[in-house]
Amino acid sequence: MATNIAAQRIKREFKEVIKSEEVSLYLNVAQCSIKVELVNDSCVELKGEIAGPPDTPYEGGNFILEIKIPETYPFNPPKVRFITKIWHPNISSITGAICLDILKDQWAAAMTLRTVLLSLQALLSAAEPDDPQDAVVAKQYKEQPEMFHQTAKHWTSVYAGGPSKMPELDEKIKRLTDMGIEEHNARDALSSYNWDLERATEQLFS
Amino acid sequence: MADNSTCYNVVCRYFKKGICREGSKCRYKHMEVVRNETAPSESGSSQDSSASYVNIECYYFKRGNCRFGNNCGFAHNPDNYLEESDSDASTNGSLSNKNVETSLVAAEEWVKAPEFVPSSINFNVNVPFSMEDFASATHPKSYAQAVNPSSGQSTFSANDPLCLSFCTTVNCPNLHGDICDMCGLRNLHPYNEDLRKMHISTCSMENHEFNMTFKFDTQPSRELTFSLENYASAKTPMSYTRAVNSSSGQSTFTADDPLCPSFCTTVNCPNLHGDICDMCGKRNLHPYNEDLRKLHISACMEEHKIDMELSFAIQRSREKSCGVCFETIMEKSKGEQRFGILPNCNHCFCLTCIRKWRQSKQFDNKIIRACPECRVPSDFVCPSMYWVDTKDEKDKLIMDYKDALSTKDCKYFNKGRGNCPFGNKCFYLHALPDGTKADVGPPIRQRRNADNDIDVFHQLLLWDFMDERDNFWMYDFDDLRDFVNIVSDSDDSDLSEYDLYFD
Repeated sequence: MATNIAAQRIKREFKEVIKSEEVSLYLNVAQCSIKVELVNDSCVELKGEIAGPPDTPYEGGNFILEIKIPETYPFNPPKVRFITKIWHPNISSITGAICLDILKDQWAAAMTLRTVLLSLQALLSAAEPDDPQDAVVAKQYKEQPEMFHQTAKHWTSVYAGGPSKMPELDEKIKRLTDMGIEEHNARDALSSYNWDLERATEQLFS
Repeated sequence: MADNSTCYNVVCRYFKKGICREGSKCRYKHMEVVRNETAPSESGSSQDSSASYVNIECYYFKRGNCRFGNNCGFAHNPDNYLEESDSDASTNGSLSNKNVETSLVAAEEWVKAPEFVPSSINFNVNVPFSMEDFASATHPKSYAQAVNPSSGQSTFSANDPLCLSFCTTVNCPNLHGDICDMCGLRNLHPYNEDLRKMHISTCSMENHEFNMTFKFDTQPSRELTFSLENYASAKTPMSYTRAVNSSSGQSTFTADDPLCPSFCTTVNCPNLHGDICDMCGKRNLHPYNEDLRKLHISACMEEHKIDMELSFAIQRSREKSCGVCFETIMEKSKGEQRFGILPNCNHCFCLTCIRKWRQSKQFDNKIIRACPECRVPSDFVCPSMYWVDTKDEKDKLIMDYKDALSTKDCKYFNKGRGNCPFGNKCFYLHALPDGTKADVGPPIRQRRNADNDIDVFHQLLLWDFMDERDNFWMYDFDDLRDFVNIVSDSDDSDLSEYDLYFD
């Protein structure tokens, strides 16, 4: 019975998201769009997609999400995780796990996939560094906002198809990959050490 | 199965009427011979080896009142017709006497008729022998079975059909009904209440028709004055019996006379009939009693108002969908078409979903007591068949709900045997077995502790507090034991601690 409710509701929510897609297309505000796709026929696993909100380092990027619907949905929140790598205080740069209250203890049964995705979009434009998922990112966000902005923008362009290229950061990563470091590890280390090449190298080879 | 063979020898009487529902599965004989006869007089009884009963003389025919006429399965032998000296040409078979026949369906025509219609429809169209009854009766008894006392079964059930002939003879093996007041015949099934009611409702119509024809036969001149229009306009409607028999006097009705309960429009009903009420369309207005008229009109108005309110309620509820399952509540399965109304906000949920949400274990009390849409907390959910729009409607609904609950015994309080955690805030009735209401004081205070268990605060009395202070060494001792326990570092220290605290 419970699975029945969950499946029924997902089907209805699907229509709701598609309708909102159409509206945003009509209004020509494609950059605010959210999308949901079925991964298989079961309605248990879904793929979500949100666009980076404007006036943020994530602008122009498209972020893919993994959504798992529990059997007890909508009485329990869906399990959501970023598949696209992202530099954000409330999202793990390694696993993509999200720290958002409505996906945990503040869930309400009337919330939908659409409201969840919109909430995530809002999270991208307004981070909560005091309740972080990724402590390194949160520290950078608080202490070196400019550096955080640059890093987040760089990650968006590399992983989420963002527009802005940053040659000096790419140069630093190339220096590390030339030493035989895998590209993502190099980027992660550099980002964590505020693009300090020496410290990143030290960390990688220690 | 033993009697199967005998059954196959008996011609199915329903088949003969063309209405056998069993078809090829019928246990009785579907004999083509009967169908092929063009004239019943030729009645191929020569072939009737089956005629175990054809040779039995019809009991009713002998007394001149067999209602089956030439369709009767038993021999109508005119020689034995008690009052008829003039015998017919036919010697055996199912041909009936001409005298009887003239009043019945023409003998030649019944075979061709798509469906057998007994001429005496006025009698047996009454409940007991409708087609439905045949279908519902699992094993309609053949006459042979019924007659044969060895086949047992002297008691009757609600499924048994009534004796068709309304006979009063002692030896009739069939079930006989009670006498119906309207038609005067034994038509009321003694065990089957539904059939009784059905008969009574149909009887008034049937009965009047029957009386009409009957009276045309007997007193045609009188009858003519009793057209429907005359009847309705007549200020003093008379029953037929009263009208005919002038000696019985009193032909007028007074304000105290009750109305005819069946709202019949027929001429011969001896009861007083009311005027038609515009609202309900029935003859409910008493012609002479002004009070009763007013009473009925106000009752009708009230009913009308309730009807209107209901249809408005349905109208505003029809489109509403649940905020949790997203389904249209009025389109859910039968038991789930109920709204769960939250007193502090106006969001719409079905009762099942909102209750389930409020019973979730994995969230804070604060979260689940809040509306899933707006997070405004509500203390309870009020079940309702319909959606309420306005504050007045909602207040009334909640009042009604609380009133209804306050008459039911609280299962926690259990007539004084238990404790209700809601105390005097409980919606249910806290009454002792003798009926006196008990005030159990305010609800027990609860708090969720760090382990997510519920701590119950018993009523805190000042005396307890003083007591605790004066006997502080007792608690020190407890602490000491606790301390020893921790130092000993046993594996089951958790349990020991538990014991200590709850000693």
